[in-house]
Amino acid sequence: MFYAVGLGLCDEKDITIRGLEAVKRSTRVYLEAYTSILMVSKEKLEEFYGRPVILADREMVELQSDEILRDADKEDVSFLVVGDPFGATTHTDLLLRARALGIQTRVIHNASIMNAVGACGLQLYNFGQAVSLVFFTETWKPDSFYDHIRENADLGMHTLVLLDIKVKEQSEENLIRGRKIYEPPRYMSIPTAVSQLLDVEATRKQGVLAPDSTLAIALSRVGSQTDGEQRIVCGTLRELAVQESSIFGEPLHSLVIVGRRLHPLEVEFAEVFAVNKDNLRNVARTVYGCTLD
Amino acid sequence: MDKPTNIRNMSVIAHVDHGKSTLTDSLVSKAGIIAQAKAGDMRFTDTREDEKERGITIKSTAISMYFEVDKEHLGSIKQKTEGNEFLINLIDSPGHVDFSSEVTAALRVTDGALVVVDCIEGVCVQTETVLRQALAERIRPVLVINKVDRALLELQVDKESLFQTFSRTIESVNVIISTYHDPVLGDVQVYPDQGTVAFGSGLHGWGFTLRQFANRYAKKFGVDREKMMAKLWGDNFFNPATKKWSTKATDADGKQLERAFNMFVLDPIYKIFDAVMNFKKEQVFNMLEKLDVKLTQEEKDLDGKALLKVCMRKFLPAGDSMLEMIVINLPSPATAQRYRVETLYEGPMDDESAIGIRDCDPKAPLVLYVSKMVPTSDKGRFYAFGRVFSGTVRSGPKYRIQGPNYLPGKKDDLFVKAVQRTVLMMGRYIEPIEDCPAGNIVGLVGIDQFLLKSGTVTESETAHNMKVMKFSVSPVVQVAVEVKNAADLPKLVEGLKRLSKSDPCVQVSINESGEHIVAGAGELHLEICLKDLEEDHAGVPLKKSDPVVGYRETVKAESSIVALSKSQNKHNRLYVKAEPLDEELSKAIEAGKINPRDDFKARARILADEYGWDVTDARKIWCFGPETTGPNLLVDVTKGVQYLNEIKDSCVAGFQWATKEGVCAEENMRGVRFNVIDVTLHADAIHRGGGQIIPTTRRVCYAACLLATPGIQEPIYLVEIQCPENAIGGIYSCLNRRRGQVFSEEQRPGTPMFTVKAYLPVNESFGFTADLRSHTQGQAFPQSVFDHWEVMNGSPIEKGSKLEELVRNIRIRKGLKPEIPPLDTYYDKL
Repeated sequence: MFYAVGLGLCDEKDITIRGLEAVKRSTRVYLEAYTSILMVSKEKLEEFYGRPVILADREMVELQSDEILRDADKEDVSFLVVGDPFGATTHTDLLLRARALGIQTRVIHNASIMNAVGACGLQLYNFGQAVSLVFFTETWKPDSFYDHIRENADLGMHTLVLLDIKVKEQSEENLIRGRKIYEPPRYMSIPTAVSQLLDVEATRKQGVLAPDSTLAIALSRVGSQTDGEQRIVCGTLRELAVQESSIFGEPLHSLVIVGRRLHPLEVEFAEVFAVNKDNLRNVARTVYGCTLD
Repeated sequence: MDKPTNIRNMSVIAHVDHGKSTLTDSLVSKAGIIAQAKAGDMRFTDTREDEKERGITIKSTAISMYFEVDKEHLGSIKQKTEGNEFLINLIDSPGHVDFSSEVTAALRVTDGALVVVDCIEGVCVQTETVLRQALAERIRPVLVINKVDRALLELQVDKESLFQTFSRTIESVNVIISTYHDPVLGDVQVYPDQGTVAFGSGLHGWGFTLRQFANRYAKKFGVDREKMMAKLWGDNFFNPATKKWSTKATDADGKQLERAFNMFVLDPIYKIFDAVMNFKKEQVFNMLEKLDVKLTQEEKDLDGKALLKVCMRKFLPAGDSMLEMIVINLPSPATAQRYRVETLYEGPMDDESAIGIRDCDPKAPLVLYVSKMVPTSDKGRFYAFGRVFSGTVRSGPKYRIQGPNYLPGKKDDLFVKAVQRTVLMMGRYIEPIEDCPAGNIVGLVGIDQFLLKSGTVTESETAHNMKVMKFSVSPVVQVAVEVKNAADLPKLVEGLKRLSKSDPCVQVSINESGEHIVAGAGELHLEICLKDLEEDHAGVPLKKSDPVVGYRETVKAESSIVALSKSQNKHNRLYVKAEPLDEELSKAIEAGKINPRDDFKARARILADEYGWDVTDARKIWCFGPETTGPNLLVDVTKGVQYLNEIKDSCVAGFQWATKEGVCAEENMRGVRFNVIDVTLHADAIHRGGGQIIPTTRRVCYAACLLATPGIQEPIYLVEIQCPENAIGGIYSCLNRRRGQVFSEEQRPGTPMFTVKAYLPVNESFGFTADLRSHTQGQAFPQSVFDHWEVMNGSPIEKGSKLEELVRNIRIRKGLKPEIPPLDTYYDKL
């Protein structure tokens, strides 16, 4: 049996009991370690599971799936995914291959940022398509996410923006030379993300991300049980852009672009996270048309 | 120096052994840099030991000279001048084809060229090559017919045959000039009667143009000088009986008349030769007296050739006539930059830098082109040698040093640094100067580490690059080098860097198996490079492999089916087909006529009109490759694909990679067009970044090639061999054994020499020169120049074929798996 096990958001203890049982049964346990990270080290996991864990980087998952699936028809193999196996990053390809090899598969779900984003007070019902924001380079500035945010905005929906992480990537030159030299890990910070958003707004000029009239909520380490580790900061894009990056907390970060279908209760919930409470209420009232108390 | 109207920047160009350096001596001696007596023997511009030993020029060398023209002649100068003092910056360039890149670098910084042709050998392959290059750079030529002494002493031809030889040579030069004619330059053919052709002997230090003789006779006959010049050439005859001019060779009575050129120009020379060589000394002195030439007593004691040399040098000093010809007929920077600016500058013609170049304005922002690096006495450091096209360069201010990959507004390949010192290059010496205004050739100290081989130095933030030079030779012959003692490796690496800087054409690289590869234009070029590397740049003992040839990978048909490759995460798919590019188009790209930096609309128009492309396709060329300039194209022929522009950069990177290292043997690709037919992409940018798309593009290009009948091209030399008739048999047998093909065999009119032209695969050329000599008792001298790429017969994917073996050997040499990977390595099924 091939198990795709969601690990949840925070540390080793977020795994479900069913997931833990699967792990303990497995002869090999892989941890997918490039689309997201846990807040604890691999050793901590091994100690908790009582099993060795094999780190699976992008190359291994994408190019050596046969090794991961080896003998999974005879014994149990677990593939651990931070968050939910069908969350932001889907591992459908791996499951398809398993199916093609006649291997039985089972998915054990867990919390993902896709649902835990509710922590900021916005109703999950009103989220539209999620988008990713990649690190811009000198020459590569993909901005098609802008269209997705606009489509959401047109319907008044919120947009969850997932920020790029580069855990183990080769530089373009090393990739072409075939050198297995990896860049140090990078995680996009909220100020970088907001400034990239504003850059794109400046070129597209469609007002979807107008700096003073667009509310956004920054989240970090959602699900952390340590006091003060989980941070939520709320304000207009311009307000967020000028904050010290330390107030946004440690990576990983996510950002929500608030849609027009804003409920007064949502504003009330978010008020405590505001950079500037009065301005938040003001924008919510005048721009978003919220009737506040 | 401060008067651009009174500067002449010129290069001396010719076929090997036609006497450039020797002739240059005459000019240098005129400027008082070397003693007149030594001129002709000294080869002042051959500064290197091996140049002296071999008697050939390897590196081009610059000299600045001061010359005062006779006030009388100022009227003949058809451009603006101030006063009669001139600064002549002369660059002596190598004649051997292997060093053509040196010529290219010299031509870039000059406006005029002194084309030297041996009067016996006539126009040769390298004469044509360099002349063509000169015209492409919009450089105005004047001609010197050299080694006339040989015609007189060795061949003993009569006056009329000599005239015929001269006019044939001039005719063939003019044929070349009109073939590569650029309308902007106007008529640049050379005419003796306009003073743009000189005759002489560099070795003996004498020479003349018709202007000198016209001067003498104009006074005597009391006619206008210019009219006299016209009479002294062509079908003009003088009847001494009637004292009348005629254009017919016979007079009214049917009596043979003598041609004016023979009578007035050649006759005195013949008489002196005859008198000196037959020891009729009295006669000689009488004649010289009549000609107003005075000899010292010592000189009068000389005999034979030594006396001849002195007489002729005093009678017709080469320096005067050549320099006069240069000053009168070649353009000043002020004149030349006006029409050269469009071919020199990449930016818009109305920005401040372009205007500065056009006007050759010393007060405009600086634009300086560095065309080559010259080693200094300080080991490992170089002078950046170049020309100031606009503004004034001085030490102190910070300049923008732009490499060839610099794009305006970007920071790549850009340094902002000050120049430490500016110097004048004087052959073996340098002379420090305070500053250097527009129109001059200059050496810069202290910026060598910021430039690889060439580049643009500017002041204006908006300045674009000067166009990069296109070399007529390409580095097709390579050797691998390694150090004998492992501890010397760092020295080798450093030495290779220096070697690469010091030569415009050499290419240095490291292949998969970690070998250091040095690639050059030919055997001789490589030999010199390796010698420099071993003795100078690295200074450590080296092991060298046998020379090998670089091949090109191509395709011979369109891909039989659409190639498909999926990205690693399987979310993205690329569909691509490969097809051969028109050979003419590949050549046009290599020659820089079709250029990635062209305006895409103008380029599309040319592609449609001249190469039969669909205009819509032609507008959607994503890039050239390898190195973003090569003769392979990536074309977007998709219809309405979302996000395509977001993966374009990654596709371009993958395409560069694939075209640099082709699928068969990881040689460069050539003449392949890749059409991106369709793509399927993940909606989210994070799942289609470079890491996913770059390797996929490479794989799909490889798959498309394997599906399109892959082929291999090999480099072919054009070989020109001069030899007497009895050596021809030896040449044929030699060529036959080496897959050579003779395509022309001609006798040079008026000589017993034959010229044989043949195509010879570069791979078969190693040791050819020695082989040929031994088969012809040393009578045949070949000159080989890279001519074209030729598709080899057969297919590299056919098991057991010759090409398969060739590819296998290359792969083994490079440390790759011996077999070409099968299609399914790159092709993904749906």
